[in-house]
Amino acid sequence: MTKNAVRANRIRLPALALAAALVPAEALAHASDRGHVLLLPTGHYIAGGAAAVALSFLVLAFAPQPPLDRLARWRLPLGAPPPGLRLAGSALSFLFLAFLVAAGFLGSRDPLTNPLPLMVWAVFWVGLTLAQSFLGDIWRFLDPWYAPWRLLSGGRAAPHALPARFGYLPAIVQFFAFAWFELVHPAPDDPAVLATAVCVYFAVNLAAMLVFGHEDWARRGECLSAFLRMMARLAVIEGRDAPDGRRRLSLCLPGAKLVGAPPLPPSGALFLLLALSSVSFDGLMRTFFWLGLIGVNPLEFPGRSAVVASSTVGLAAAFALLGLAFFAAGALGERLAGRTGATLAAAGALVWSIVPIATAYHVAHYLPSLAVDVQYALAALADPFRRSVELFGSPHLHVHAGALMGADRVWLIWNLQAAAIVGGHLLAVLVAHVVAFRLHGSAAGAARSQLPLAVLMVGYTVLGLWLLSAPTAG
Amino acid sequence: MTDVRKPSRLFPSSVSRRGALKGLGAAAALGAAPGFVRYAQAQSSAPVRIGFQAHRTGIGAAYGRWYERTTAAAVKAINDAGGINGRPVEIVTEDDGTDPARGAEVVEKFASQHRVDLVYGTLFSHVVTGSAPAAGELKIPYYVVSEGYHVASGKLNRWVIQPGITDVRAQCRSVAPWIAQNVGKKITMIFPDYAFGHDHRDFFGPAAEEQGAQVIARIAIPPTETSFTRYFPQIPSDTDVIYHVMVGPAVLTFVKELGEFYGGRGPKLFGFIDSLEAVDINSPGLEFLEGSHFWEGMPRYLQPDASEAERAYRAAVGLDDNGAAVNDPRDVSTNAHMFGCWETLHIIKRSMEAAGYRGIEDRQKLIEATEAMTDMEEGIEHPQGPKRFDGRIHQVFGTQNISVVENGRLNVVHKTSIEDGLYEPEADYTAQAF
Repeated sequence: MTKNAVRANRIRLPALALAAALVPAEALAHASDRGHVLLLPTGHYIAGGAAAVALSFLVLAFAPQPPLDRLARWRLPLGAPPPGLRLAGSALSFLFLAFLVAAGFLGSRDPLTNPLPLMVWAVFWVGLTLAQSFLGDIWRFLDPWYAPWRLLSGGRAAPHALPARFGYLPAIVQFFAFAWFELVHPAPDDPAVLATAVCVYFAVNLAAMLVFGHEDWARRGECLSAFLRMMARLAVIEGRDAPDGRRRLSLCLPGAKLVGAPPLPPSGALFLLLALSSVSFDGLMRTFFWLGLIGVNPLEFPGRSAVVASSTVGLAAAFALLGLAFFAAGALGERLAGRTGATLAAAGALVWSIVPIATAYHVAHYLPSLAVDVQYALAALADPFRRSVELFGSPHLHVHAGALMGADRVWLIWNLQAAAIVGGHLLAVLVAHVVAFRLHGSAAGAARSQLPLAVLMVGYTVLGLWLLSAPTAG
Repeated sequence: MTDVRKPSRLFPSSVSRRGALKGLGAAAALGAAPGFVRYAQAQSSAPVRIGFQAHRTGIGAAYGRWYERTTAAAVKAINDAGGINGRPVEIVTEDDGTDPARGAEVVEKFASQHRVDLVYGTLFSHVVTGSAPAAGELKIPYYVVSEGYHVASGKLNRWVIQPGITDVRAQCRSVAPWIAQNVGKKITMIFPDYAFGHDHRDFFGPAAEEQGAQVIARIAIPPTETSFTRYFPQIPSDTDVIYHVMVGPAVLTFVKELGEFYGGRGPKLFGFIDSLEAVDINSPGLEFLEGSHFWEGMPRYLQPDASEAERAYRAAVGLDDNGAAVNDPRDVSTNAHMFGCWETLHIIKRSMEAAGYRGIEDRQKLIEATEAMTDMEEGIEHPQGPKRFDGRIHQVFGTQNISVVENGRLNVVHKTSIEDGLYEPEADYTAQAF
């Protein structure tokens, strides 16, 4: 521990004791935009959303299957991306990341004027994930590891194979660490803290790629690539490697790629469920309900530092609960359909139906803030190494935060969020149904096997809408 | 616009410069290092560096945005007028996440890594109380803009000072005479059942009773409550005025349910604008506020009799006549509070000038110079109104505004005097050693 850290700790303990002992005399917890949401008839939306998802399941149980199957197989060829695009894109992406990390260490200490936190948390984690979900595997051309790996490995085969028995475990461990850093760490926005985290994460995963090969580690080890590749299966552009080695792109319907995706091993299914549970917990941890559970006054939120332990437990518990619920629903469904012995395989195929739900949660929870954060990001990129707020008041840097404010905008945003949550679940029911039909070969068997999962999806619709309508701190 | 980047910008960062210097070991070696000599010679024109402890993330972020804008506008005004003692002002912003533990770390970083002259700008009380011991231990001036009573209470230390915004105790005292004389003498208080609400209960109640009014009911609402109708039957039927200080996301629901409960025929309402800062007063649910009164530190809406100084301040910060961003009418400001940033920075300027402040070796002189301040006239440095500083409790006193909601606007109907808010000091920081 450094001298500074020792001194900081020495100061902090009496400081916190004093903070607890003193009477804080003002609380500026204002009527945030959630206040407008509390006046909306959100209960009706929740009931309506749940009914729509349940009804869609019933309709599908009686719908003719072959047309749905044909729709899922429909493709429109789009041509091929230029060869070399992947290497060039990756090299540029790596250089841009290096530039952002430099800005993180050397630029402004303010997370809203330093480009690194804005690019990582807003543009990459929110923006790129959504682009990936709607368009396709853009990450393939932006992955900053590929070019350095090619350079360092010389394109030779990996010295070791990543053991199959590990499954997606490395990605699960890393994603949990990533989610913990985002949601629980006291200062994930701090430019220097984030720059350090990015360097460590990049180096660890580059080293692993040199040992196990880029492709396998990006699929099962490096959690951001693994996550983004899974999200891209929802999208409308499909990329496939043709026999001539060229990549071919084609257009398909949203979710169609999920139906034909190879079943995931149980660890892969758990990885996808971890991604969804972390976004769900991100919503839950701000609610009065959760803060009440951990004994925190939501009007006097003591800051992230004070809730590290409870948030860590909550993040892990959310993952455990969702994992348990999903596999229990899968097992029960197989039993209802009269099948035995293939429960895990069925779950591995059906888990792809989680992708539209994860995307819906991502849209609903993060898209509104993206509208403002992108403005901050552009302003920060305009002057990445400045270290004062001298220019902040100048017109070209004024951030229009009002885009999200006021009752009418809140109404609009709430409706978009509700549409995303319900739409995502409807698509999930559809995907699950087509997958189940392929597994069972009959509409009746598919419907019976889907019943528990449909109940889970209705429940998750209710949870999603409730998280967006419940009172929250801040 | 003047660019005030510091001369030592050639170094990659203050941290690495410090690290390099540390490696040299002894102070003699420091003096011999060529880079150090150059910097020392440049010191007379080097910027005054102010560490801005900002709520950029966390629950204070909506306020942090406007505190930042006001800070930037004040720094620009000060620099355009020649800076402080001929030196430009530079702001170094660190986010505290509205988190007391991080607040203490930020103060430590300001003192040890950034080596700023002072720390400034904290709003939320729990961050102030969490950071104050660090400021005291590191002997760095800590100018807060938080309106809490914690500074005046004497429970902090000599390095913590609040010269730019009045505290909640004075605010409660200031409005009591006007309420008792103009709105009614039988008062029911509705407040959230935790420290913030208890302060209002404990400060306003006695002040109102001094004025011949009577608090006939005190209704404490649990902080997690989001529906309030079941509490309203506890309001005595002979209540003249309801004094409400609800905060948090459910405040719109509170107003709506209160309005529906009385159907426009109930007692008069008096509230503090804190909970509706940054919220459009014309939002759905707030129709029931028409005709009710609010405390405002500084008026949100431009008043017809606003002084030239106030108009200049609003233009500098970028406020339109409705108190929203001039180029973003949806972005309603936190104007009742944020003037405190502007005024505090100007007091820092005055104090540095009075102290002949040269560098961090003069930090103690800076605090002493602020402690010596007394009356401050209304003007561009104090656009909210005249102030009177009490060095013993490190707290400023000032005028307050009482506004009525009329046709979806807040119009000032009364300005309290400084004397209305004065109370007997309970401490004397000047008797403490530095």
